Amino acid sequence: MIELDTHPTGAAVVRVDGRLTMVDAPAFRSAVAEAVGEAATTVVVDLSACAFMDSSGLGAVIAGLKAARQAGGDLRIAAPSTQVLTVLQLTNLERVLRPFGSVAEALRAG
Amino acid sequence: MPAELSLRAPGVPASLDDVHALLSRAWDRHPDVGDDDRMRFEIAVVEIAGNVVEHAGDPHPVDFELAVRVEDDRLEARFQDPGRRVDVDFSTADMPDALAETGRGVALALATADELTYRRVGAVNHWLVLRRRRP
Repeated sequence: MIELDTHPTGAAVVRVDGRLTMVDAPAFRSAVAEAVGEAATTVVVDLSACAFMDSSGLGAVIAGLKAARQAGGDLRIAAPSTQVLTVLQLTNLERVLRPFGSVAEALRAG
Repeated sequence: MPAELSLRAPGVPASLDDVHALLSRAWDRHPDVGDDDRMRFEIAVVEIAGNVVEHAGDPHPVDFELAVRVEDDRLEARFQDPGRRVDVDFSTADMPDALAETGRGVALALATADELTYRRVGAVNHWLVLRRRRP
């Protein structure tokens, strides 16, 4: 399940509850597009409840990163599980999608 | 006798949830399988399931079958589907550029499985995902 929480400060949190695979990737893309469309400059993807991500889910996160950057903002991921960290390592994306320890930390990063 | 679990499901994205559920049942039966082996095998199996769904779902969804075996020394998943032929070249399945949105599935499966094979037999696609269990 994907939840979007937009903050009045210009940030938005997209929370992934469960898995982010081919099943939920379209809903994730829509949530990020909505956040960027509402002028959120910082989109934080809360992965603390995401148990599993596949390459389709990762592709949706990359699409969100590009959309946020095109709008002059940024996308950050927070609290990834060991499985998500493993996928980031195996795909050499740890630097492009640098994980933050928590949503609060990702929001604070400026 | 080694235990085998299997399913038959339509070639649509929602069937990935059935694949996860099947693996979860396998781990319940075999609590001795280590966390890292489970995680990496699941990554490989779900990537191939995604590939099967893409091919078995075009132009009309057809059913695919998955059989998972947990043996003392290895984990095996065998997929079969009557979808269209898959063009896959394992020797060139490298990770794409960082900002690519697709094209990581087979590379991710190769990085987490010890053996990955694809065969077309008659009008049926056969995939084997094998991971040797670490001590």
